[in-house]
Amino acid sequence: MIEDFKKIYENRHNYMKAWKAKNPDWKVLGYMCSYMPEEILYAAKVLPIRWLGGHEPQNVTEPHIMGMFCPFCRDVLAQGLLGKYDYCDAIGITHTCKHINQAYESMILHRGVDHFFIPTPSKMQDKQALPYYAGILKIFKEQLENWTGKKITEDDLKRGIAIVDENRRLMRQVYETRKADNPPISGLDSMYMVTASQMYDKQEVNKIIADVIKNELPGRKAKNDPGIRLMILGSEDDDTAFINMVENCGSSLVIDDHCTGSRYFWNTTEPGNDLMSVIADRYLKRPPCPIKDMPNRTRIPHIQGLAKEWNVAGAIVIQQKFCDPHELDKVAIVNGLKAVDVPTLYLEFDVTVPIGPFRIRVEAFLETLGSEDLF
Amino acid sequence: MAEEEKKEFWRWTETNWANKDIDWRKGKTITGGVDVGSVSSQAVIMVDGQLYASANTRTGYNSPQSAVNVMNWALEATDGMKLEDIKFTVGTGYGRVKVPFSNKAITEIACHARGANYMYGPSVRTVMDMGGQDLKAIRTDDKGKVLNFLMNEKCAAGTGRGMEVIADLLQVPIVEVGERSFDVDKEPPPVSTTCVLFAKAEMLGLLKKGYSVNQALAAYCSAMSYRVFTMIREVDVVEDFVITGGIAKNRGIVERLEGHLGLKSLKTEVDYQLAGAIGAALFGRVLYEKQK
Repeated sequence: MIEDFKKIYENRHNYMKAWKAKNPDWKVLGYMCSYMPEEILYAAKVLPIRWLGGHEPQNVTEPHIMGMFCPFCRDVLAQGLLGKYDYCDAIGITHTCKHINQAYESMILHRGVDHFFIPTPSKMQDKQALPYYAGILKIFKEQLENWTGKKITEDDLKRGIAIVDENRRLMRQVYETRKADNPPISGLDSMYMVTASQMYDKQEVNKIIADVIKNELPGRKAKNDPGIRLMILGSEDDDTAFINMVENCGSSLVIDDHCTGSRYFWNTTEPGNDLMSVIADRYLKRPPCPIKDMPNRTRIPHIQGLAKEWNVAGAIVIQQKFCDPHELDKVAIVNGLKAVDVPTLYLEFDVTVPIGPFRIRVEAFLETLGSEDLF
Repeated sequence: MAEEEKKEFWRWTETNWANKDIDWRKGKTITGGVDVGSVSSQAVIMVDGQLYASANTRTGYNSPQSAVNVMNWALEATDGMKLEDIKFTVGTGYGRVKVPFSNKAITEIACHARGANYMYGPSVRTVMDMGGQDLKAIRTDDKGKVLNFLMNEKCAAGTGRGMEVIADLLQVPIVEVGERSFDVDKEPPPVSTTCVLFAKAEMLGLLKKGYSVNQALAAYCSAMSYRVFTMIREVDVVEDFVITGGIAKNRGIVERLEGHLGLKSLKTEVDYQLAGAIGAALFGRVLYEKQK
C-alpha cells in the first residue's frame, strides 16, 4: 500500500528495531551519503540504512559542529548524539562534502562507534577513477569481511547487486508514471517511497513497491486536478512538510533531482565480469552530487532533460543553508533551466522551514506560472 | 516616568480617506482590497477601477479582526457605504487567507505589482516593496503582472519594523527619521550590521563615542539602504523603478538607495502603503466581472 511508505518514514526507528530483532544474523550500518555502495553491504549481510534528520529543533550539536555548517549535517549528527540510531552496529560514509564528514567524525569521537570511511574519487570524470574506485571497493569488502567474520563470495555480491538494482528499477518505474498528465502518485508519496527505500530493508520495500506498481497505480489519480507541474531539485531534501505545502497550493511535484530522491536510484549497474568494477562504474555514472560534478557540470543537461521529459512549468531550487557545493551550482542551474524556458524559485532550507513565509513565495511563483487571467 | 519616556516614537500616522468627488452609488462595480501585513493593514475600496476610499492602520495580534477594523475604518470615510455594497473583496498580505469577508486571497507580491502599475502607470518595470517585515523586489510587465521576484529570507533587517525599533531607541518620531538622517555635516560610515538587535547595540556604542542622534540615524539608514541595494540588484533593476510600502515614506532610505542604484524612483500622490490593497481591489474587479 502507498501508505506503508509514510509509516516506514515516520516510524523508521521502530521498524528497524523490530527488523533487527527478527534478523539476528544481520548487522546494521548507518550511512550519511547516497554514494555508499549498498550492494557490498547487502552481500555482507549488513543492512545499510541512511541517516536523515529529525526536522526538530535540537540543542546537542552546538559544542561539536559549527552553526555555519549545513543544517542537514547538524540534524543528522543530532539524531546520532541523541541515540535515535543506537540500533546501528556501525556508521559509514564516503568522501563527499566536509560538512557531513564532520558529522561522521563527531559521531566517532563522541560515541565511539565502529566506522567505515570509503574514499570515493574526487574527480569522478577522470579515466583513472574507475580502477581506483574498484580498488577502494575491494578494500571496503575486505574490511567488512574482517568486521563480520564472514567471507563475501561472488554469489553474495551478485545477490547484493540484484537487491539494490531491483529497488532502482522499481523506483524508475514509479517515476515514469509521474510523466502522465495526471500522475498516479504525488510528489509527497514519491518522497516517502524513495526515502523508505533508504531507511529500511530493500527486500521488504521492493515487495511493497512492486505491489503498488501492479495493483494501485494503474488508473489512480493522486489529485483530481494536478495543477501546475513542478520540478524540485537541490541539496538533500526529505522535508515532507514543505512538499505537502507546495502540493496543496495548486501544484504537483512530478520530478526531483535530490540525493534523497532520483539521484539515489537513477541508474542500475551494467553487466561486467569484475563485480567491483561493475559496482564502482555505477556510482561513477550516477547523476552526481555537485561536489563530484567537475570539471564538467554534467548535472545541467541531466536536469534540463528531466524538466523536458516530465514536462514541468517551473522548478523550485532548494539548498540546505550553507551547503557550499549546491550554493556554487546555483547560478549555473538557474541559468541552465532559464535556457530551456523553465522559471525557477530559489529557497534556502533549514532544520525546520518556515512554512508561512515559504507559502507566500510558492504561491507567488505559481501565480507567475498560472494561466488565470487577472488583467 | 517622564512624559518623554512614555511616548511611542515608532508610531506612524494612521489614516482613512475617501474621494468626495466620486458618487459611489453611480458606480457599476465596487470592489475591495485588504492587505493585512505583519505590521500594518490597509483597506481600499474602488469604484469602477477608481480609487474611492482607503484606510491604513496598525495590524493587531488578531489578523481577522485587523482586517475587519481597517475595512470598517475605510467605510467610515465614505458617504454611507456598507460592507455589503462591496461586490468582491480580495485579501492579500500575511493575513490574506484570514480576511473574514474576502472572496479570494492573492499574494501580496502579485498585488503590489498590480497596485504599482495603477499608482505609477504602465511604464513600471521594477517594484521595491519595503514593508513591515518583508522586502520584495519585483519585476513586472506593462500590465503589472509579476515576471520575477525576490524576497528577504528569515532576517527582517532593512524593513519597517527594524526602523520602528531604531526610532524608539533614539527617541526620534519615525516620520522625522529620514529628514534628520540628512541633517549631518558628513555622511558617516554605515553601521556594520543591519541585524536590528546588533545594530541597536552598535548605535548605542556610536552615541557613547560622541555621534549625534542624527549621525546615528544616518549610519543606520545607510546600512539599510545598502542591504536593500544588494538584494534588489539580484532581480536586475530596470526602469521605471518605484518603491512601495511604509519605508517608501522615509527619504533617508529612498534617496540613499536611489544613489546606489544610480536612478530615481517615480513618485505619486497615492499613499505608498496602499499598493498591495489597490492591486487586490483591481484583481477583485476582474474576478467579479468574470463570475457575473
